[in-house]
Amino acid sequence: MVAPRPAPVDAYPTDTSDTQAETEETLLKHIPDPNSSTNPPPTLQKNVHLQFLVRNLLQGFPSRYISQDASQPWLLFWTIQSFSILQAGLDPNNKQRAIDTIMEWQHPDGGFGGGPGQAPHLLPTYAAISALAIVGRPGPGGGWDQIDREKLYKFFLSLKQPDGSFLVMDHGEVDVRGIYCLLVTASLLDLLTPELVEGTPAFIASCQTYEGGFASASQPYFSASPDSEREGASTLLSSPRPPLGEAHGGYTFCALASWVMLLPFLPPSNAPTINTKTLLRWLTNMQGTEIELGGFKGRTNKLVDGCYSWWVGGAFALLESIGVGGPRHGHEPEAEHAREPHHGDDEGWDDVDDVLFNRKALQEYILYAGQHPAGGLRDKPPKAADAYHTLYCLCGLSSAQHHLVISPARRQAIYDVWKSEPSSSEGDIRKKVFAESLSWVEEEGAAKFVGGTNNRVNATHPIFNLTITHTEGIMSHFYKQTVPPRVVSKKA
Amino acid sequence: MSASSDSIELYADDPEWADIEPVRQYENPNPLAPIFYTEEYRDATDYFRGVVKKGDMSPRVLDLTEKIIRLNPAHYSAWQYRYKVLLALKSPLDLELRLMDELAVKFLKTYQVWHHRRLLISHPQLSSSKSSSFYLTAELRFIAKCLVVDSKNYHTWSYRQWLLSNFFSGGERGKEEEEVWKKEMEWIEQMIEEDVRNNSVWHHRFFVVFQSGIRVGDEDREVVRRREIDFAKDKISLAPSNPSAWNYLRGVLDNNNLPYSDLSIFVRPYAQARSPDAEADEVIDLENPSPSKGAQLPCVPAIEFLADVYESGKSRDDIEKAAQLWKSLANEYDTIRKKYWEYRIKEALEVLPA
Ligand SMILES: [Zn+2]
Repeated sequence: MVAPRPAPVDAYPTDTSDTQAETEETLLKHIPDPNSSTNPPPTLQKNVHLQFLVRNLLQGFPSRYISQDASQPWLLFWTIQSFSILQAGLDPNNKQRAIDTIMEWQHPDGGFGGGPGQAPHLLPTYAAISALAIVGRPGPGGGWDQIDREKLYKFFLSLKQPDGSFLVMDHGEVDVRGIYCLLVTASLLDLLTPELVEGTPAFIASCQTYEGGFASASQPYFSASPDSEREGASTLLSSPRPPLGEAHGGYTFCALASWVMLLPFLPPSNAPTINTKTLLRWLTNMQGTEIELGGFKGRTNKLVDGCYSWWVGGAFALLESIGVGGPRHGHEPEAEHAREPHHGDDEGWDDVDDVLFNRKALQEYILYAGQHPAGGLRDKPPKAADAYHTLYCLCGLSSAQHHLVISPARRQAIYDVWKSEPSSSEGDIRKKVFAESLSWVEEEGAAKFVGGTNNRVNATHPIFNLTITHTEGIMSHFYKQTVPPRVVSKKA
Repeated sequence: MSASSDSIELYADDPEWADIEPVRQYENPNPLAPIFYTEEYRDATDYFRGVVKKGDMSPRVLDLTEKIIRLNPAHYSAWQYRYKVLLALKSPLDLELRLMDELAVKFLKTYQVWHHRRLLISHPQLSSSKSSSFYLTAELRFIAKCLVVDSKNYHTWSYRQWLLSNFFSGGERGKEEEEVWKKEMEWIEQMIEEDVRNNSVWHHRFFVVFQSGIRVGDEDREVVRRREIDFAKDKISLAPSNPSAWNYLRGVLDNNNLPYSDLSIFVRPYAQARSPDAEADEVIDLENPSPSKGAQLPCVPAIEFLADVYESGKSRDDIEKAAQLWKSLANEYDTIRKKYWEYRIKEALEVLPA
């Protein structure tokens, strides 16, 4: 085996290549010696990470987390969703404490704030609702029925901008994270309407940069239109509409997931489009090379970082769902060619894999470099672990272990038992949103566990980042539907 | 920890705040995942909740919110409330902007410091004032200063792009606009000179040249395209493995619907190992700069580019040549992306007639 090659500097060092070289040197120390035969397989230290999470949850976060005082719903979501990924749950007493804590973040005017008494904002609203999807339940004190959906919807509408985007709060900024948060919340709670998202797909499309990834937002240009019905009304120009900021992993995930959620709302003609070819190229280029242990970067010429395991690594399943890569279109994924069970050897790993990024390498990055010895996961060594990186390393690991795909059979099964409300005129679109959200299944036999099945973590929903069980639970409640049981079809 | 609290001035002890009832954060005495607050922070935020509850918009709230922001610059509610108070009091926003100069440098990574600037600068009090040009150009200078410290700061760059497109793209500022964009290009050259791998600058260049309107002097788009392609080639020759320059080149071609094959002559030497007698038959071609002496060849982006050129040829022979290059990437030069290169081969072969 040859030692991994450093990124070429071409005898032309700059600040960027200097920091890159330093990072490579650090990461190299975390690559086990390929020539040693005594290497133990890499292990996910589940217990140590659980202890880290339980400490944060029950004892609390140390004072340096004051900087995240306006992100309390996030701290809770990161922590309890990490539990879900690690196949752990809260006991009934702590579940109730969680619900009661979350409900103190709901603002009297609708939406949730970053803590009690804080202004409602799309980001904490998403985190609070997602956390409730995990710990909440119907009925008094269960959280779900205490969400003021009517005010929430009005709050969403109040943030809508003429270019199809949304402010994150009153007097706040526009960015695609906020839109992702709004769309997830609205999808889960049955609040997604054509009225709410009119113009939003075009906004998302306008955030794609020449590199293929997406930026935080775009700048609208308007012109006074003489033929407009209203005097002085201005028209949004389709060009220029420049992205603000370069292609970025976090924004790209949010934009792509938003795009997928918005597909049922695309107009039948003149629909906006995104360039999936350049997007795929950009996403694959974010994976670091062997010397970086195959971790992901968030931008061109930046450093690998564990959280992009999810933001970038997790984007591949979304891209597959719109027909780029993955199992050939039209086939039922479960019915694909038979797969051999995987034993962890290098041979045979590649042959049975449709996924377009290096799943094995990404798992190695998380296992070798992402884990902090004292518990929790991190950006990269020698950094400390934190709640955010713990979740996004873990769900990145999950997306590299499991292969989730849209199953037409599952979609049909959900359609078959759909109960329509005769009074509703938007039944079709609701049905579509519900069925599309819940037709993700794990492709049989396609899971791969570097270091063996002891390292297995739970699969997570590629759009919502909740387990499929939690997603089904909260959505069936709000859409007043029952989903057919999931049958795991074993292969002969 | 609490020993030091003697020296901290608390709002609870300040008679000026006696009329405000502090509001404890949680009604529920036993919240999950609590943060260990310092006494100073707890005290300030208790009074902030009290202020919000009462709807107090008096000048002292500016001190309170500034205090909270200094302790936690991501406290968006404090920022939001502060902005409302500034408006309610008709405070001079230029002074607020100068305070932001200090806070932005201190909390460069925080979104809110940049967003607050944006609210201030777009308020008519500044943007429609006689001195608006002064404020706006001061902003551009200030941003440039911040980028010296943190040259890839996302918020700083997107703020600059917003500022330029919002205030300097409408033609209302006439000659001044021209001047700003001209300077912008010079500044970009200088930033790329400093670090040719800084992708944020490359993106900014693309924004300036192709995405925010057409500059005076840039009306002949053919000249602009050639200029930008030459610029990218030149930077590629300095450090051929730099993806920022290649992505820019691709962006220029894609954006203008130009065929990749236009660049074949330029790209070829970058996609091959250096021949031992390269020195001897070196011909200086100004349009197609050769790889620098220190270049490590072949480089991945050039192989990829050349494969794209072949793929666009569409004949069986072309596709096979492209596939050869993709194979070399998959198996030798860029093995981490093996799956992707194999996918490219599969996709390209699929469109060939059987
Ligand atoms: Zn990170």
